[in-house]
Amino acid sequence: MKILVAVKQVAALDEDFEIGSDGRDVDPDFLIRDLNEWDDFSLEEAVKIKEASGDPVEVIAVSVGPEEVDESLRKCLAKGADRALRVWDEAVRGSDPIAIARILAAVAKRETPDMLFAGVQSSDQSFASTGIATAGLLGWPHGAVVANLRYAPGAKTAVFRRELEGGLLHEVEIQVPAVLTIQAGINTPRYASLRSIKQAAAKPIEVLGLSDLAVDAATVGEAGSLSRVRRMYIPEKGRAQLIEGSPAEQAARLAAIIREFKGEAA
Amino acid sequence: MSGLLIIAEQRRGELRPVSLELVGAAQSLRRDGEQVAVAVLGQDPGCFAAALSVAGVDEIVTVKVPSQEFDPDTFAAAVGALIDARRPDVVLVAHSVDSFGYAAALAAARGLGFATDVFKVERIDGELVATRGGYGQKVSVELDFPGRSTVLLALRANMFKPPEAGAAPKVTAFEAPAAASRSVGKEFVELSAADDVDMTAAEFILTIGRGIGEEAKVPQFRELADAVGATLGCSRPIADAGWLPKSRQVGQSGKTASSCKLYIAMGVSGAIQHLAGMKHVPNIIAVNSDAEASIFTVATYGIVGDIFEIAEELRSLF
Amino acid sequence: MSRTDAVTRILFEAFSAAEVRLFYALGYAAIAVFFYGVYVQVRKYRRGAPLKLEGGLGRRVWSMFTSVFGGRTVDRRDPAAGGAHRLIFYGFLLLFAGTSTITLEYDILQPLFGIRFWYGRFYLIFSLVLDVAGVALIGGLLYMMYRRGWMRLPKLDYARPDRVPGDPDFNRPQYRREDWAFLWILLIIGFTGYVLEAARLVWLADRADVWDTRWWSPVGAALAHGMMAMGLGEHGAGLLRHGLWWFHGMIALILIALIPRTKVKHIFTAAASLLVRDPLAAQRLPRIPDTQEKPGVDKITDFTWKQLLNLDSCTKCGRCHEACPARAVGAPLSPRDVILSLREFANATLESTTLPAAAELSVHGKAPGQVAMETLWACRTCMACVEICPVAVEHVPIIVQMRRKLVEDGAMDPLLTKTLQTIHKTGNSFGESKRKRGSWTKPLPFKIKDARKEPVEVLWFVGDYASFDPRNQKVSQTFATLLHEAGVDFGILYDGESNAGNDVRRVGEEGLYEVLANANVAALASAKFKTIVTTDPHSYNTIRNEYPDFGGKYQIQHYTSFVKQLFESGKLKVTTPLKLRATFHDPCHLGRFNKGYEPPRDVLKLLGCELVEMGRNRSNSFCCGAGGGRIWIPDPVGSEKPAQNRIKEAAAIPGIEVYVVSCPKDLTMFEDALKTTGNEGKFVVKELIELIREAIPAAQTPEAC
Repeated sequence: MKILVAVKQVAALDEDFEIGSDGRDVDPDFLIRDLNEWDDFSLEEAVKIKEASGDPVEVIAVSVGPEEVDESLRKCLAKGADRALRVWDEAVRGSDPIAIARILAAVAKRETPDMLFAGVQSSDQSFASTGIATAGLLGWPHGAVVANLRYAPGAKTAVFRRELEGGLLHEVEIQVPAVLTIQAGINTPRYASLRSIKQAAAKPIEVLGLSDLAVDAATVGEAGSLSRVRRMYIPEKGRAQLIEGSPAEQAARLAAIIREFKGEAA
Repeated sequence: MSGLLIIAEQRRGELRPVSLELVGAAQSLRRDGEQVAVAVLGQDPGCFAAALSVAGVDEIVTVKVPSQEFDPDTFAAAVGALIDARRPDVVLVAHSVDSFGYAAALAAARGLGFATDVFKVERIDGELVATRGGYGQKVSVELDFPGRSTVLLALRANMFKPPEAGAAPKVTAFEAPAAASRSVGKEFVELSAADDVDMTAAEFILTIGRGIGEEAKVPQFRELADAVGATLGCSRPIADAGWLPKSRQVGQSGKTASSCKLYIAMGVSGAIQHLAGMKHVPNIIAVNSDAEASIFTVATYGIVGDIFEIAEELRSLF
Repeated sequence: MSRTDAVTRILFEAFSAAEVRLFYALGYAAIAVFFYGVYVQVRKYRRGAPLKLEGGLGRRVWSMFTSVFGGRTVDRRDPAAGGAHRLIFYGFLLLFAGTSTITLEYDILQPLFGIRFWYGRFYLIFSLVLDVAGVALIGGLLYMMYRRGWMRLPKLDYARPDRVPGDPDFNRPQYRREDWAFLWILLIIGFTGYVLEAARLVWLADRADVWDTRWWSPVGAALAHGMMAMGLGEHGAGLLRHGLWWFHGMIALILIALIPRTKVKHIFTAAASLLVRDPLAAQRLPRIPDTQEKPGVDKITDFTWKQLLNLDSCTKCGRCHEACPARAVGAPLSPRDVILSLREFANATLESTTLPAAAELSVHGKAPGQVAMETLWACRTCMACVEICPVAVEHVPIIVQMRRKLVEDGAMDPLLTKTLQTIHKTGNSFGESKRKRGSWTKPLPFKIKDARKEPVEVLWFVGDYASFDPRNQKVSQTFATLLHEAGVDFGILYDGESNAGNDVRRVGEEGLYEVLANANVAALASAKFKTIVTTDPHSYNTIRNEYPDFGGKYQIQHYTSFVKQLFESGKLKVTTPLKLRATFHDPCHLGRFNKGYEPPRDVLKLLGCELVEMGRNRSNSFCCGAGGGRIWIPDPVGSEKPAQNRIKEAAAIPGIEVYVVSCPKDLTMFEDALKTTGNEGKFVVKELIELIREAIPAAQTPEAC
């Protein structure tokens, strides 16, 4: 039994960031990298299934990115993944989620897992597409925004609940193997102590190139993306009118606004 | 020029309002002579025709499918067939839980132009340009789709103005091919409401966020909300931690403060998922100790200060 | 009998040979049981993990010697008990030495070498000394009985804060039984000793050398007269003596045999514990040895032999229980009960011939003998327990090592987990970008040197709270200005500085601590400076005591002693003496941890303040509650916080105007407590730096070149 978990190392912006000279992306000096918050949950869900199963289940973490991504993969190993894979080639640079999905689909063909998990979205670009695009390329059943999952490895179906707007849940039964995108809050991700992350450094991370996966370079990168970045810019930020003064004065103004509003409503 | 196709969203027999926002967005993209068609899927799709009869809709396409509620395979097959048959330039769907379930798969399989969470659409020199956010919504990114004959865009809710009602578009039926569905939708589950509060109906909301620090501080704000006459709401971290029931969560996957006129956010940083549920409120007052918090970008008034001090002072005035 | 002019006592007088043989047989049996008992105890300690002791043996022996024979550690915070214990100690010691002396001559020197000395003047002085020793012993014992039975001291209440009534090990009546049994047995031995002595005098009253020298055993003689007055005759006294001799002897032999299995063993274990004491136990925590697979303590056998010995030396005196700030506010932690639980667990598992299976050896949990998670997380690592323990039990390292295991398992409050992840990501507990670490310096009219770029005399290690917390940033700005005005050549590391790691280590995240320590040591290595000054006692403690284990040895001072030097050398001069009634709160990591009690007080006096001490001051200072990572863990709703308890103590000082702190966490905790205890407006909480500023108002100090 195998569960393949696709993870992403996301980039957050540091203070006083700058757009690069080509105007299409942020200068990398200002990027702070970390494992995507949603992927903590999807990895934890996979490891929970592994630990609850009587039969052996292998959890494999896979990510697409250059060497710095190894740090996030090591965190996954520390949190219970058995193996980690990283795919990289310079041709991959500039890929949109669909181009990435092409690579993930190739990895899934190679590993033939029973389940493929991804996070609902990434905290940096929030496309919410990579996981489901992979399913489309694989031709696998798929379900998005999984807030609750009941799956026994080896079973033919799984039952999950998708989290709809307004806090409503929709229960669905899906055929397996399937691609599921996991929603934050589905479980409580375990803490990976620094020591366990250090020890995980002893586990090897297999690095693959495009040729290892029989992926054509023309189908990834900017050429393989379904959109093109024209420009990136820092938007005009709206600014609230600040209420100054001592806390008592500020609260008094706030109270006045509330009373005025209620006067209207009444 | 083959027109614009909109995929409406319906759930439990009701048309979701975002469907009309999509119509509004389509107007800024239509070129002379282009038709805007809205497709609606369901067991009895015709019942939504009246709600979809709004200005700017030229055609309502009803698609009868076996499942009443959303099903990814059904939608992918039906929308794919619609695209094959009608060859639209632009297909608009909502950036929603439903579209998360199929849009990317469809776009990937067919090589459509594709972008999600788009909040601005326009034509620049005739080219379709979609704008979305990047790096946690701290930047804006303009995308175009060279060489793509059909572009599928998922639009963010509450960003486009729905048009006026009162039009009479023609209604046609579309025969969707039989699709083998590999998942079966079952029942809907309401999250157990510890209190029967309807955030979507509340006009005055006071929301608390991560800034309150610990569960022990919740009662103070519950009391404050009661004192000023507001409904107590919260952001996602509070609900996830169990400090308040999920029914109180405002945001993308919580409730939208649809009826709210006055919104006070205390200790809420303004993560994009939360803003999605409340930034449309006409009067927003944010209280946060961090002057750089994103919430201040959507608020009308802001207080940079200690939320507990402000809460205490405010409480003493009611 | 060789010399008739030399008075002595004939041993086993009028005993049959068979009786003597029986006595010796029983004696050897008792000794054998004793040694077997010792073997079981030593085997138990050896089942623990190995440990290499540091420091010269000579120094240790001297330290143990002075503690044991001076009785200083038992005196602390309970001089009456200290005095009584001294009486018991010396009384028992002398009586035991006496018996040993007799045995030495009778069983060894005389039969083997023909040497005798126990007669004549020596014998008489010997008798007097032992009689006095007996009085001391009984006097001390009677006081202890009064103390236990009548004084109802809270620290002797065995009810546990981490169990509820109804739990099998809630009240432990067996402890009280053992306490009283010990007192009674010693008392009986002492008392019967005197009666025995008196009976012998009556029995041998017709022997001149015995009767004429009777007043060399004054108590015995007085009792003898009393007994004779009551009609006891020679024959009756003989019978009484014979019977009592056996009774007294048997009780004594039973006591000896039972030493290794009862409270009596503290005679040895306490001395041994003091011998292996680490004076930096809580200040410098042990690293995880590379050979160790899983960090922290999970099984009882993961404790070192020294820690297992510590468990056995506890005499249940309750001083740690009394001193603990967590216990004082009702948290489920008593350091005493952690030690006693583990002791019971060790005894139950490690004293059997074969070791139980590994699965039964885990010390974590809620079963009797185990320690619950809530107990371990309640600790503030303030080391009040370690500091006051008379027998050198080292509670804090035990708790931290057990926490290491909890951290590895992720068994902690989600807020704590989040903070650790934040510190790992950003190097500070506030989640702010590294680049912002020096932002507090921007409003200053002068530029603070970057010690990484240019050499400085003094490197100021600022710390997290002083860099990022708005209230403490003001204090940092004030301190920077004072240093600038005093002409001190100083610099900071800006974003080269990370959280020093003191609290991360005490939470039990040793891996993260290593990352932080290594990062700071590397940053310090890249900077050029002569000495380090810090305004943060937590950073002070770890850099001073723990960074040397990571290759970083520096000359470091807390700002209070540095500032005192500035005053003494005239670089700072008070121009406006503050006539304020102030009390000083000793921060745990400066005071108790590193004995820095006096410099802040000296500075306060230099400023002209009237210093009034709180009851709990210096080594007995009461922790604000933020240590041990507790500042990152929410307190239970509705409970009193240690800081509130402390503020109330200050509020009781009549006319108090200022509560002075010299630690950023103290400032935060006490300002909060001032409000929540309703004392706002009655007095203020101020950092010493702020008071210095008030005493040297700006623009009145000539700029030093």
